[in-house]
Amino acid sequence: MKILIKNGYVYDPLNKIDGEIMDITIENGKIVESVSGEVIEIDAKNMIVMPGGVDLHSHIAGSKVNAGRLLRPEDHYKDVEKKTNVKRSGVGHTVPSTFTTGYRYSEMGYTTVMEAATPPLKTRHTHEELNDMPMIDKACLSVLDNNWIVLDYLSKNELEKCAAFIGWILNAIKGYGIKIVNPGGVELWGWGKNVKTIDDQVPPFNITPREIIRGLCKVNKMLNLPHTIHLHTNNLGTPGNYRTLIESMKCVSDLSDGSIILHVTHVQFCGYKGYSWITLSSGADEIAKFVNENKYVTLDLGQIVFGDATTMTADGPFQYILYSLSKNKWINADVEAETSAGIVPYRFKKKNYVNAIQWSIGLELALLIKDPWRVFLTTDHPNAGLFTSYPKLIAWLMSNKAREKILKKVNKRAKSKMILPSLEREYSFYEIAIVTRAGTAKALGLKNKGHLGIGADADIAIYDINPKEIDPSKEYKKVRRAFRKAAYTIKDGKIVCKNGEIVENIFGRTYWVNVDIPKDLLISTISEVKEKFEEYYTVKMENYAIHENELLKSAPLKINSNL
Amino acid sequence: MSNEIFIKPKYDFKVPIDASAISPNEFSGKSLEEIKAIKIWEGNKEKTIGDLFIIEGNTSSEIKNIKIILEGDFTKVRRIGSNMSDGEIIIKGSVGFYLGEKMSGGKILVEGNVDSWLGSKMKGGIIEVYGNAGDFIGAPYRGETKGMRGGTIIIHGNAGNEVGCWMIGGLIKVKGNCGLFPGIHMKNGTILVYGNTEGRCGALMKGGKIIILGKVPTVLPSFTFEEIRSSVKANGEKIDGPFYVFTGDLNEEGSGKIFISTLNNTHLKFYEKYIE
Amino acid sequence: MKTINNVVCSFCGCLCDDIEVSIENNKIVKVKNACSLGISKFLNYDKHRILKPRIRKSNEFINVSLEEAIDECVEILSNASYPIIYGWSNTSNEALRIGVEIAELIGGVIDNTTSVCHGPTIIGVQDIGESTSTLGQVKNRADLIIYWGSNPLHAHPRHLSRYTALSKGRFVKTRKERKVIVVDVRKTATANIADIFIQIKPNSDYELLSALRYAVNNGEIEQDEVAGVPVEKIEELAEIMISCKFGALMFGLGLTMSPGKHRNIEAAIALVTDLNKYTKFVILPMRGHYNVTGANNVTCWITGYPFAVDFSKGYPYYNPGETTIADIIARGECDAALIVASDPISHLPIESAKKLSKIPIITIDPHETPTTKVSKVVIPSSYVGIECEGTAYRMDGVPLRLKKIVDPPDGIVSDEEILKMILSKLRGD
Repeated sequence: MKILIKNGYVYDPLNKIDGEIMDITIENGKIVESVSGEVIEIDAKNMIVMPGGVDLHSHIAGSKVNAGRLLRPEDHYKDVEKKTNVKRSGVGHTVPSTFTTGYRYSEMGYTTVMEAATPPLKTRHTHEELNDMPMIDKACLSVLDNNWIVLDYLSKNELEKCAAFIGWILNAIKGYGIKIVNPGGVELWGWGKNVKTIDDQVPPFNITPREIIRGLCKVNKMLNLPHTIHLHTNNLGTPGNYRTLIESMKCVSDLSDGSIILHVTHVQFCGYKGYSWITLSSGADEIAKFVNENKYVTLDLGQIVFGDATTMTADGPFQYILYSLSKNKWINADVEAETSAGIVPYRFKKKNYVNAIQWSIGLELALLIKDPWRVFLTTDHPNAGLFTSYPKLIAWLMSNKAREKILKKVNKRAKSKMILPSLEREYSFYEIAIVTRAGTAKALGLKNKGHLGIGADADIAIYDINPKEIDPSKEYKKVRRAFRKAAYTIKDGKIVCKNGEIVENIFGRTYWVNVDIPKDLLISTISEVKEKFEEYYTVKMENYAIHENELLKSAPLKINSNL
Repeated sequence: MSNEIFIKPKYDFKVPIDASAISPNEFSGKSLEEIKAIKIWEGNKEKTIGDLFIIEGNTSSEIKNIKIILEGDFTKVRRIGSNMSDGEIIIKGSVGFYLGEKMSGGKILVEGNVDSWLGSKMKGGIIEVYGNAGDFIGAPYRGETKGMRGGTIIIHGNAGNEVGCWMIGGLIKVKGNCGLFPGIHMKNGTILVYGNTEGRCGALMKGGKIIILGKVPTVLPSFTFEEIRSSVKANGEKIDGPFYVFTGDLNEEGSGKIFISTLNNTHLKFYEKYIE
Repeated sequence: MKTINNVVCSFCGCLCDDIEVSIENNKIVKVKNACSLGISKFLNYDKHRILKPRIRKSNEFINVSLEEAIDECVEILSNASYPIIYGWSNTSNEALRIGVEIAELIGGVIDNTTSVCHGPTIIGVQDIGESTSTLGQVKNRADLIIYWGSNPLHAHPRHLSRYTALSKGRFVKTRKERKVIVVDVRKTATANIADIFIQIKPNSDYELLSALRYAVNNGEIEQDEVAGVPVEKIEELAEIMISCKFGALMFGLGLTMSPGKHRNIEAAIALVTDLNKYTKFVILPMRGHYNVTGANNVTCWITGYPFAVDFSKGYPYYNPGETTIADIIARGECDAALIVASDPISHLPIESAKKLSKIPIITIDPHETPTTKVSKVVIPSSYVGIECEGTAYRMDGVPLRLKKIVDPPDGIVSDEEILKMILSKLRGD
């Protein structure tokens, strides 16, 4: 299929294109120099053309997401999707069913989504769900920081073997990268306990969270993985935790050679000053200062959206605390020798002091951090808000007026503590393109995504809004509307969505890293580990691994490690 | 003066019928022809009311003047009277699930039996059933925590399990017996059972009042005995005891109250040793 | 003779994956490591096999080609006003995914054996949540093990040796380091090997669970005994539970099927949740069929609901009691049935079985059952985990890939393939 998108205002930050009127030509699923012959023409006059959205952190598939779906029949009841000629039926709201998830991303012009956390032992389940998620390309980050064998190696500083083992796991379970969630804390949660600082001991492993983060940062480099380590810090959701965040970022500062070596996720939940809920305030200014001065870190916001949410993370102890505070129903699901998961429904309210402060933190971070290539737009779906709220977030970033409208309604005491009202910065369309697609694709190391250069995958979103006539600062409602329903979503060179309606049901790829580990090192590591593995787990190593043909459309990235 | 609309099934129904469109609110301001054309689900087929029912009578443009009289076997017909705010429905026969779901006013009368989820999330109005009722009277949808909040439900026969599940207001009266778990998860409102209960009254309740005049096999261990009272008020109506009064469910730090007839529950006499 | 290692057993929810199967000339001749239930399946699965598709025409069964059988299925299903699709716990996730798509296409109700087994568990979880873990967590850490209304020595024979009381974990290595408590209405085989056996009066689990929860939270019970158990014993039990390092409560049909049902489970979950204030505690359901957990998961990710999903209006609707198959059949509401890898005629109450046998039934199953005997169309299929591959989920949600060990008989294909043919024909491909 050949497509010509003409007359659109193109925003392609990775190729430094900032609203130029340009043609984009597509053939055989790729962006090409030019096309001729039978060509489908799309007239994007007065519209914005961007690469398809790339969401680098969202909980969309796997055992804890499904437990969240099971937990919330009352949620699904409110939001049903009827079957159409093109679309499967489903349910939406905070934990949508798999088909509905794919459709709703595509309707907003998103084309690639990273499942934020999957426990290796249950990753087969994640892939089964991703297989049933249409419209988007996807991948999943593997939670590895409380894995017993990894901790055994890290505590003995046997980094090469650790790297070989992690390389083996990522190959075996078709994972994309190293996810770290409350390092050390989740292992202690196996006894109902937690860590309080990054220097707490984690018995019996003789290791601290600091050492886990540093060790995995080094391993990541040795494996040459496309994405950095992806860190959910200790003490998430605790007043005063901005200090833990800054310490966690600092603890790898000496490991950078100038390149980016750490991604910290849903930083809003880690940016709390104060020593109690009543004295809660934003730590965004200190965090932003650190991030502005230290260029080896990227982060994503985890921005709060007022309304219903379903919190779900691998941070078992944090989820228990949230249950104790809210008294809502609570699911906990530990995964042997690896990690945990916790789910608690929640509702963020404007008049609630704590929720209002939380809401301001994400936005303050976005406005205070100067480099848009290092701060990304997420809601840690469905923890802080739903991915379908991204257009709302875009409006908040682009319009001080949109923020003021909410500020008028939030808890007054909270407002008096915020610096947000004084921040007048407004994002441009170029910057929005960075924080929702160009920057995220770059951070993930997906070279053919997030841009419109020759050879890129033809994943494109066209939004019906005229950047030359609209003043996003004033007309933020039009911005929201435009980004909510893409005029066109193109995936692999096929028009799949028109005016926010799915017109073709397609299935994307599942990316994973196929790391090339030196044969001798791999064999010796695995034979050394096998006995312990089968002692710790309740499955055989052979059955732990997933075959490539279990993925609907497997797309391995061949990685040459530095081992 | 009400305008009466008569509805009779055209044949014996086999698959479930979703009849949320049969309500005074839906019928008001429509002619008989328009009413016959209203869409209704018969299993997975979308039909019209006229396909399934014989409709006769006089309509009205005012909801409160509409009186719908249903005659025949409606056991497969669900959600009649859904969301109604006024007017009257009389069912001369038995009827299926979710009768009077979310109603906020008006009156429903059933001569036969009703199936489960009667008056689910009711807000106001009156439902009176001469026969028996199924389970979950007033209860909300799965996973929801707020059930019936207002109105009155009267069952002349027996009721099933979980009468008033998640109740937050209103009054439910059962003249006969009821099953297990009356008032489970209750927060407010009043349940009055003239007959016996199978037990587990007020499990997980946080507030509200349950009055049992008949037999109660045991009281849950997470309830504490308070006192003996000579009478109690059920929504303003004085009900004579004497009653053993319990507070709970303490497993939920609840302060709901259960009133159990002393005369019909002599096996509970041992609680009297806790009278201070 | 060839030996295949690390075979996953397809009998019960334990999904043991260390079975060694030896084959000769496409026949299984030896099985190592499996329990008696597993061995029985591996060695005897081939009995009472149906070898050809058949249709019942005026009280006579006639063998037909697969295509003809599929055509008849499509005829029956596409005209039905309230068809049901049931079974699923004894087949692969891959087959069920197609089944859900079929149910959506024909506007029917899809349900699995959860609704007659651990449905109450799921309903309980939907009301209150649950603190749970995978079985390896129990193996490695649990010093207190409680079986309530469950007799694993009979129903899940290797449960204790692989996962609980008799297993060797990283932190808890011997039987001596664990305390085993069994709560049941009679002294079962499992009760015989327990450290403490609590005999409970039938139908009073709810009362005992409430009492335990109350005692755990320091309440003073105003009765001398609850559920036939003296209050001192209850307080002693509460103390044991609070002072363990890691407790695991496993429960079975004794709890789900006695009066109270989902409320019994809710009470058990609430007790375990409260115990987490004092120590670490988890609760695990003892799922019966080898892939009932998979059935719940597949249904849930596609529709949002784990069983009893009604598609009659074109979108998923769930309400156990209203949309559960057993209740639909009892009320005589369905007008066609597709049964996959299940035998409802045997498992339903006799009145419901009679009603079911009056409507046209399509059964896809490898072997003869009372259900196949009254079906209008029977299509034989292969055994997942023996004759074809497939994915199944263990009772604790761990997903495993079942292997193909031998070939099925000539002409027999898998549930997944048969369902794909039905779906394709229904779509008019």
